[in-house]
Amino acid sequence: MNVLSLYGAEFRRFSVDRFKPGKFEEFYKLIMHVHRIANMEVMIGYADVHGDLLPINNDDNFCKAVSTAHPLLRVFIQRQEEVDYSSYGTHSLTRKKKAVVTLRNDVNRKRPHIRIGMPQDFRPVSSIIDVDILPESHRRVRLYRHGSDKPLGFYIRDGTSVRVTPHGLEKVPGIFISRMVPGGLAESTGLLAVNDEVLEVNGIEVTGKTLDQVTDMMIANSHNLIVTVKPVNQRNNVVRASRISGSSGQSSDSSGSSGYPSLSTAAAPSAHGYPDELESDEESDIVIESSLKRPSRRSNASVASVASNASRSHAQAPPPAPVDSPGPPPRPPSVVSTVSFHSQPSLNSLSNHGSLSYKLHRDLNLQHSQYQHHSSHPALRESNGSLHKILSTMRTDPRHSLALPRGGVEEDGTVITL
Amino acid sequence: MKRFRRHGQESHRDRIKQELYQFNKTVEHGFPHQPSALGFSPSLQLLAIGTRSGAIKLYGAPGVEFMGLHDENAAVTQIHFLPHLVELVTLLDDNSLHMWTLKAHKGVSELLEIGRFTLTGPPGAPPSVTRVTAVLAHSSGELLLLGTEGGHVFVVEVPGFRELEERNISLEIVTHSIPEEYGGRRSLEHVESLQENPANPQQVLIGYGRGLMVIWDLDCQSAVKHILATQPLESVWWTEDGLRVLSSHSDGSYCRWSVAGLDTQSEQEKSEVPYGHFPCKAISKVIQLPTKQGPPFLLFSGGMPRASYGDRHCITVIHSKTHVALDFTSRIIDFFVIRDGPDQAGEPSALVVLVEEELVVIDLQTEGWPVIQTPYLVPLHCSAITCSHHVSAIPLKLWERVLSAGALQNTHYSKKPWPITGGLNLSPDPPQRDLLLTGHEDGTVRFWDASGVCLYPMYKLSTAGVFHTDADPNDNMNQCTEGEWPPFRKVGCFDPYSDDPRLGIQKIHLCKYSGYLTVAGTAGQILVLELNDESAEQAVEATVADLLQGQEGFRWKGHTRLEVREEPVLFPPGFQPFALVQCQPPAVVTALTLHSEWKLVAFGTSHGFGLYDYQQKNNVLVRCTLNPSDQLAMEGPLSRVKSIKKSLRQSFRRIRRSRVSLRKHHVNNAAKLQDANARLEAELAEMELAPVQRKIEARSSDDSFTGLVRTLYFADTFLSDSSHNTPSLWAGTNGGSVFAYQLRLPSVERRAEDLVTAHPAKEIQLMHRAPVVAILVMDGHGSPLPEPLEVAHDLARSPDMQGSHHLLVISEEQFKVFTLPKVSAKMKLKLTAIDGSRVRRVGVAWFGSSCSEDYGESGLTVLTNQGDLHVVSLPGVKMQVHHPCIRREDVSGIASCVFTKHGQGFYLISPSEFERFSLSARCVVEPRSLVEVPHQTPTSLSRAQPDGASEYRYEQPERASKNHLCNNMKTALTGGKALSNGGDFHICSVSIVKEECNDGE
Repeated sequence: MNVLSLYGAEFRRFSVDRFKPGKFEEFYKLIMHVHRIANMEVMIGYADVHGDLLPINNDDNFCKAVSTAHPLLRVFIQRQEEVDYSSYGTHSLTRKKKAVVTLRNDVNRKRPHIRIGMPQDFRPVSSIIDVDILPESHRRVRLYRHGSDKPLGFYIRDGTSVRVTPHGLEKVPGIFISRMVPGGLAESTGLLAVNDEVLEVNGIEVTGKTLDQVTDMMIANSHNLIVTVKPVNQRNNVVRASRISGSSGQSSDSSGSSGYPSLSTAAAPSAHGYPDELESDEESDIVIESSLKRPSRRSNASVASVASNASRSHAQAPPPAPVDSPGPPPRPPSVVSTVSFHSQPSLNSLSNHGSLSYKLHRDLNLQHSQYQHHSSHPALRESNGSLHKILSTMRTDPRHSLALPRGGVEEDGTVITL
Repeated sequence: MKRFRRHGQESHRDRIKQELYQFNKTVEHGFPHQPSALGFSPSLQLLAIGTRSGAIKLYGAPGVEFMGLHDENAAVTQIHFLPHLVELVTLLDDNSLHMWTLKAHKGVSELLEIGRFTLTGPPGAPPSVTRVTAVLAHSSGELLLLGTEGGHVFVVEVPGFRELEERNISLEIVTHSIPEEYGGRRSLEHVESLQENPANPQQVLIGYGRGLMVIWDLDCQSAVKHILATQPLESVWWTEDGLRVLSSHSDGSYCRWSVAGLDTQSEQEKSEVPYGHFPCKAISKVIQLPTKQGPPFLLFSGGMPRASYGDRHCITVIHSKTHVALDFTSRIIDFFVIRDGPDQAGEPSALVVLVEEELVVIDLQTEGWPVIQTPYLVPLHCSAITCSHHVSAIPLKLWERVLSAGALQNTHYSKKPWPITGGLNLSPDPPQRDLLLTGHEDGTVRFWDASGVCLYPMYKLSTAGVFHTDADPNDNMNQCTEGEWPPFRKVGCFDPYSDDPRLGIQKIHLCKYSGYLTVAGTAGQILVLELNDESAEQAVEATVADLLQGQEGFRWKGHTRLEVREEPVLFPPGFQPFALVQCQPPAVVTALTLHSEWKLVAFGTSHGFGLYDYQQKNNVLVRCTLNPSDQLAMEGPLSRVKSIKKSLRQSFRRIRRSRVSLRKHHVNNAAKLQDANARLEAELAEMELAPVQRKIEARSSDDSFTGLVRTLYFADTFLSDSSHNTPSLWAGTNGGSVFAYQLRLPSVERRAEDLVTAHPAKEIQLMHRAPVVAILVMDGHGSPLPEPLEVAHDLARSPDMQGSHHLLVISEEQFKVFTLPKVSAKMKLKLTAIDGSRVRRVGVAWFGSSCSEDYGESGLTVLTNQGDLHVVSLPGVKMQVHHPCIRREDVSGIASCVFTKHGQGFYLISPSEFERFSLSARCVVEPRSLVEVPHQTPTSLSRAQPDGASEYRYEQPERASKNHLCNNMKTALTGGKALSNGGDFHICSVSIVKEECNDGE
């Protein structure tokens, strides 16, 4: 089957101006035209520098794709329906490996591959938020449970933390993550780790609360859990946005040295921001109303139940079978196109990368400054979310940080929070 | 401007809140947990009880109560009132002495600690030298004699606690005064007893542990007489005329000695082992009281034959030919006798016995020595309390009928009034009649008058008669066979042994208007009872409700159903059962409600819920709520035992493993042994310190016991359309589901024939899946729907049916308001997401304003798993106030909490005590009582003092004490935890002390 699909591929090679890549729409049309598949719904993906298959479905990631090309960019085109089949993912993986081999010279460097779903599969699973208002040593992680059948999957325990107070170091009780459930949401995000100290749950400090209280708070917020942790491993911290953009004085106040006490003030405005957000995100209760007197009510009832389910289904994976093609679709030849770019030798991918991260941070700041308007800009939000996701998988996924020794960093149970 | 206005509104709301809500722990009802000491002041007519946790409680006439708590968490071992004064001295387990007084403040007396003292011996002396074993509060009111373990007697001036070293009675002096041949060089041991000669206050009898008694003259500082007893001494009693001394001993004997003569050695008149022949246990206390005509009363505790009755707790009373061994069900702490007459010098009238679990008072002047019913200190826990239910504002008619039914049960009690009469009860008459019902493990329901400060027993209902139980009903322990020796008589009602745990009462619901009562128990039994003034013989009709509804694959491993008596049973006047529903499987009933207007009872267990029509005696509806994957709910309570067994096995294994690892090391020398011990200790410590972890996981539908029915609610509301209101039944489960059924009731005239029907109308699944603890429907005005029949009796205004109704679903995590009839979420209050606490108990209450008579608000009273009380406003579900109330570790306290309809509540602070609290500013029930300084009558021959002396003495010690406090910074802190009437007066007491200090300087 593998061979078949490989043989079934069609190749095209064309060029695009590197500095004026233009809009995604145009590119899409170009591809359609080049492959003469104008009446087909296709997914466009590309192989990035790491050999990962990444999607192209908007202007941003198109730009990014173009900028990473050196000088060749491999673009993969697949039919929309095919993408949805999970079995197809393995094919794409094998193909990706091929892509790595062809694109990169250091064949020896074998890295585990992250599976990245196709764009319409994308839904937020987790995100790092409020980076600019938190001290660098802290991390605020949001876990989205809705629509996921994965368990949240972590345990917390009591422990002792050491804080810097005006009276010197002081031992205080704290709450720590004690265990990750393999395959759980918490583990899969890579943003939380064993022995991370939990500082806040959905904007509320946990100091002075018992383990059971914190457990109940987390479970009560499980549909949209935001935990602020002090990671035990401080080497994966997100680089502070303010360093680059120099935007807010507030965030520079809360940098490292003054430590924990200032966190509460910094976190206060965001804590106020939560409730609105929660309302919009919360799953609504299911109401089944059965008609008693008039049978016509029944239809009404079903509408009600559907409506209430709708809020969940938007986040769920789309239905497995496409509506327009009943039965097993014939496996069409996949389309692979390669785009070559006219590039200036002076412009290397590194600087591009830097500018990208700059843009990301700008977005983060934007997100913060416009916090109140968030719900009115879902599109912006969504794009940020996926950017965060990319950012986090690129930088903080511990599975990618090979050099880091796990455990052994700190004594068990005691974490120094500065 | 806008901001300013809002601020104004806020402060206005704050003022209203202050007028509506006020938190107080007001009074403790019931019997103090673990009493350890008893004291009585004949002049004040006050009884004092000290407990092992360091509390002292004073009781006088019904309603007169004081409470104090020592700072030290040490047991109170002795309590002594200073004769003819309002002070008392307590001795604690930690050898500290404390002085308490009753001080009038704004017309109400308060119990305050005014000083503390610890005996300091000569430097270098062992602690036993100053360890106090006996205390005598001298009748002068100025001296305290302290006998110690070392055998010395220290004399201390009170209330200032000044040691009078020159008056101490040292062991050496005493030893020199007794004949050489007695005892030789053996120690006299500790001071067991100190007694003052009733006829001569200057003579004090010192009893030593080895048996020697010495009469010491305080004036001439020398021994006057000695009594050479050979058996270890237990107690000493000086007869009223001062001519004889009684001593009781550890071999079960008591002796009478004449001390009238001038000889230095007194003679033994009589020595007797009352339950003799075989070895007997010690007689721990003996007293003898004269009567005007005829022989005296002799009372002693203990002395039972060791082998056959060594486990009995007995007090023997002998008067003339009557000899009774009162047999108590728990250990005797202490006892005293109250005497008639103004000087307490008359005939013995009542015997007051404090046993570990109750206070028993026996009328000594009525034939047969019946028990006098106690108006307070009632043993709530005569059988363990399993649930409670409070009904406010009982109609007079029902009240009287319950009282008269109760009176018929209490014919065996003495008719005499309560003999302890000290103090004046100044608290106003309760505004309404409130009933507290407690369900007990033995299947009884007790009705208590909870209107005022005294929780008074009214009536007791037993449900055991409906069923066949293992226990033989004719097994009456009170029957004593003729000629039995010792002549036992069972007294007291504390009986912790339940015949059949299945009888335990779990849920109670009483309709105060109709007198219908429903109670449900551990084995899935639901009884419906009706109040009947006549006794009746009837069979109880049983109906089985199969809650499984054909669910397959489950096996109930719990207890079996109770077996119902087929034959008619004679029920005494009172609440008589006429209908019975038995759930199948017979799991414990978890929710119960009754609608007397519709004549329906709804019940729920961990498997489902049902609706029973008690007029037609049939099941209207049975609904299974079980989740097919929930095995735990199915297996019943026994499966828990397995897991305990398992964990036990594991811990044994762990210990064995560590022992094995120990054995491997050849333990030859001490160092190695120590090493191994240290390792074992470390291992154990690690085992203990192994972090407790909690799983963070969203609740799923597969969790255990999601089908358990937590709450049931009847409402006449708009369930299906907004123009017609219909009767409805609502059920909430542990898994966050709400089921609503529309009920169709036949017209009143067809009610007996036509069937009641129930149709499923709505199901709500809360997405947060937290257990639903309460459901409430609010009318168009936003007030909760009235209780059934409340409107019919003109006691509530009829609900507003014009505006739209709202449904309030209270889960453990959230308060959520939905619209009706179309259920859509309107607003909510999140509790758990904000502060991590969960709702444990919730009640609907009316809060009246303390300032304006006609203003009030409805609210929810909420108790969380953290032990905090909250008031949540209705219909807006906004948090109003919150107060920490119960320690969060006190799980049984939190579980036992019950709210009243007027913002008060009760919870168990021990198995035997209810704490009463109030969240309302208007409705507060708390003791207010005044104790006046006793006026001495000049005829009191033994303590002949000039008139007005008491007045003088009252003033002086107070001043003295305050000076003392000023001088001693340490003691100045003692006011710290003095509680009076359960209120927060301790700050007052400290400030008073300070004020006096300033005056003095």
